[in-house]
Parts: sequence; C-alpha cells; structure tokens
Amino acid sequence: MPQVQNEQISTRTPAPEPRVRVVRKHHVLVRLSHWTNIPLLVGLIVSGISIYWASPVYQHNPDPQTGSVDYLADAGIWICAHLPGARDCASPEWFYNQISLGPYMLAPALRLHWCCAYLLMLNGLVYLAGVLLSGEWRALLPRLTDARGAVKMAAYYVGTPLAILRRKPRIPPRQTTKYNPLQKLAYFSVPIAGFLSVLTGWAIHKPMQLSWLAAIFGGFNAARIWHFWLMWIFVLFVGPHVILVLSDGWDTLRSMITGWSRRESGGQANEA
Amino acid sequence: MKLDAAFKEPPAEINEVAPEAWRRRTRRDLLVFGAGALGVLAAAKSWRNQGWLANNALRFDDDVAEALYSPTRLVPTYTKSQITPLKNNYNGATPGPGYIPAWRLTLDGLSSGLAVSLDIRTLLSRHQIHDQITRFVCVEGWSAIAWWAGLRFEDLLQAYPPVSQAKWARLESSVNLDSFGRPDPYFVSIDLPTARHPQTLLATHFNGKPLTVDHGAPLRLLVPVKLGLKNIKAVTRITYMRDEPKDYWAQRGYSRYDGI
Repeated sequence: MPQVQNEQISTRTPAPEPRVRVVRKHHVLVRLSHWTNIPLLVGLIVSGISIYWASPVYQHNPDPQTGSVDYLADAGIWICAHLPGARDCASPEWFYNQISLGPYMLAPALRLHWCCAYLLMLNGLVYLAGVLLSGEWRALLPRLTDARGAVKMAAYYVGTPLAILRRKPRIPPRQTTKYNPLQKLAYFSVPIAGFLSVLTGWAIHKPMQLSWLAAIFGGFNAARIWHFWLMWIFVLFVGPHVILVLSDGWDTLRSMITGWSRRESGGQANEA
Repeated sequence: MKLDAAFKEPPAEINEVAPEAWRRRTRRDLLVFGAGALGVLAAAKSWRNQGWLANNALRFDDDVAEALYSPTRLVPTYTKSQITPLKNNYNGATPGPGYIPAWRLTLDGLSSGLAVSLDIRTLLSRHQIHDQITRFVCVEGWSAIAWWAGLRFEDLLQAYPPVSQAKWARLESSVNLDSFGRPDPYFVSIDLPTARHPQTLLATHFNGKPLTVDHGAPLRLLVPVKLGLKNIKAVTRITYMRDEPKDYWAQRGYSRYDGI
C-alpha cells in the first residue's frame, strides 16, 4: 500500500539532531579571573609607566638635541623618526603620552596603580581557587618529559607562517593532554610572573616595613628593576597568546567564556 | 605511586548534551560575558582621579601602611661607604639664606597652653644628637642613602609635651617658595606614633656638617618610615592637634599617611 507509506513519511518528525559532545575546560573562577586580568593589567601598565616617567630607572645625561634623559623616551623618539608622517611628534614626552597616563600624572597614576594592584592580588586568589577547586592545576603543571615536546611545538609554531605562505598543509604535533608542552610552560610561568610582580611591588612600596622583602630581590633599587622587567613579560606574553587563540578558532576563544569545548567525534584536543 | 596519581592529568571527560541545551547555555554565557565587558568599560570610562574608587583605593592603601607600621621596627641603616648623592628636591625655588639668622622653631598645642619659641643653639645644646645613615625614598621612585644627625623628635615631645588629646603634629615651613620664588608655605601632617619612632629626627646635620639651605637649614624633619615629601625642610612651626591636619601633597592628590 504505497499511499499509506507516503503518508507516514510526510507526518514523521525530522531526524533528531545528534547530541553535542563537549568537555569541561575552564572553571568559572578561572574564566572570571582571566578576563578580569585584562582591564587590571592595562590599568597597571599605563599607570606604571607614568610612575616610571617620574624617575626612570634607565637614565642618561641629557641629550643635547632632544633634551631626553631616559632610554624609554629615546625609544619613542626613534619610533617617531622612523614612522612615516610622525617625524614632527618626536619629543621626550611622546612615548609616555602614547603608552601611559602621560607625564606629570604621578598622583593620578599612583591612585590607579594601587586600585588595580589590590584588585589584581584579589584576582590572583580567585584564579588560584579556580584551578585548585577544579583540579585544572594538574593540566597546567609542566612535566620533565615535556622538554622534547616543547621543542617540537616551538618548531611547529615557527614553521607555520612559512607553510601558510607556501600553501603547504601542516599537521600539529600529536597531543593527548589539555595543553601542549609550550602552553603549559607559558600558562604556568605567567601566574608566577604575576606573583613576583606583586612581591616586587610590595618591596618598593614598603621598603622600610618590608625591608626583608626588598633584600630578597637585592635591595630597593634592584626590586624596582625587577618590577619594571616583569611588566614586559606580560606585554610579551599577550601578543603570541592572542594570535594563537585567534588562529586556533572560535571554539577555543568561546571555551574561555562558556567553560566548555566541543569535541567532534574522534577529534583532538584543541590548542591555545 | 599514590602521589604520582594525585599529580597526573586526568583524561578529558566527554559529555553529551542536547543541541538545544548547548545552544541556550552558550548564548546565555556569551550574553553575561558581553554585559560584564560593557560594565567594566563603563566603569573604566567613569574613572575619576578624585572619584569614589580612586579615593578609597588611596585610603585603603594608607590604612594598610598604618597597619604595617611598628613603633619598634627599625629601618635598615648603612655604612658611610654606602652613602649616595642626595639632590636638592625643593618643590619650588630654593629660599635664600636670609631667613637663617632670625630662624626660630615655634611649638604650639602644648600641654602648658603656651607657645614656645626656640633657636637652633638652644635645641642643639639641650638635646642629645644622634647620627643615622638611612635611605631616603621619594614618591617619584628615586632614593638616596644619606648621613644625618639631629635630635630625636621623641626627645622634643618629652621636653615640651603636647596637649593630652593630641594625636597629630602639623609641621610647617614659612620660608618655602613656589617655582616663581613667591612665598608658598609647606606643611605636612605627621601622626604622633611616627613622630615618636626612634629614627624620626629633627635633623640639624647632613654628612657631618650643619644643614645647608638646599637641605633645609637649620632644622628639617627626617622621618625614614615615610616618603621623602613628609621630610619637610626648614621647619618653622610644629603644632600638636587632636584632628588630622592638612597636608600639602595630600591636597594635591597624593596620599596622606605615606608610610613606607
């Protein structure tokens, strides 16, 4: 009876969508602290460089041509000289106007710096609670056996832009863990850099009451230099981090917002 | 082996969820994230240097500094070979030496109810002079190890006790100038616990010689547990009071306690 069969087909509900396979990736506290870091680090860096301007660590005798007394200002003057159409803006203050609250802003910079610094310490505790409660710390721990994998991964990253230009297919090294060895190294080091930033910050903020802390870093002046260079670790980390996340795709970026990552059947762990 | 297992990364656990639930949850989380990002952006845009958050961050930091202070903890001292140059960091123009012959230190707010006026010879002859090589730290970030000598603030407090309710000292210099050379009296607030610290001096000597005009002749405050801006030069008046006095740099957006 063909007629009956036709009727059955037309009234049948559409085939159910297959269920979505997902893995839990980031604890809510880890996600919260991850995104909170962005405004805090921006606030700390723009205010920190304004504070640095008030008494630069790396100073030289006044340059007779530019009047500049510090190397950070020189870097700005160099950029202006080599940037098309920017030759007129070369001044010792240009750099500070671009990347900080500006010169002569010490009092507002200190206010912003303390505000963000206390929030960053709080945020560090939130992050720590997140990785401990979820057990995610295990995936972040670098292992001795990772050394070879880290070299392989670095070679892969370095070779990828060239492969894209040559339109050659490229297969990432096989990965069975949540993070690849390089990621573990980076994600483990950055919180340590944060912790050291906090410690050196206290050492130069309270060099008398916490003089033992300044002594650990080689004294007040050395602690200032530590604090300055630790800042650059964050700056240098952010570039590759953002590029790798974006090249890895929406699923990886979304997982830091929703906490979950999709797994196509038989699919591999995602990167970044 | 048990320890090994505790450190081992467990394999990812795959969950299967209904597509509709997955989409709904993702949408919800993205919306919450977007709202949070907008909220932070709005908060950042409304940041004011004298706003609620900035003022309270500054006050909180001052409270932390006060909690860290200990009347018995001494700051590190150095040897003469570790001394580094100390620049004249007068905020405005450096006053000429004309004020020195007529200089007097006036004390006010004393338990006797009278004001006392002292010249430098009286101060030097009546009190023991202490030497001290300590680090001087400026709010700008630079510092210098300098050799000072002077009488302890504590000794002056003993000799001329303040009124019993006094919690603060206001130190003032009437000889300070602004950068155009016009009179610009400088004043700082010092809490009495800090004034009583054994390393808080009313310094009269620098590098073994009487203070020069650059460094606040004939008498300046040397308070190593505070930022340099509290170390007022050429002090002409000390007033003890119950309520916190005004402070030159606190009025210009810096903190008030400045403990380091």
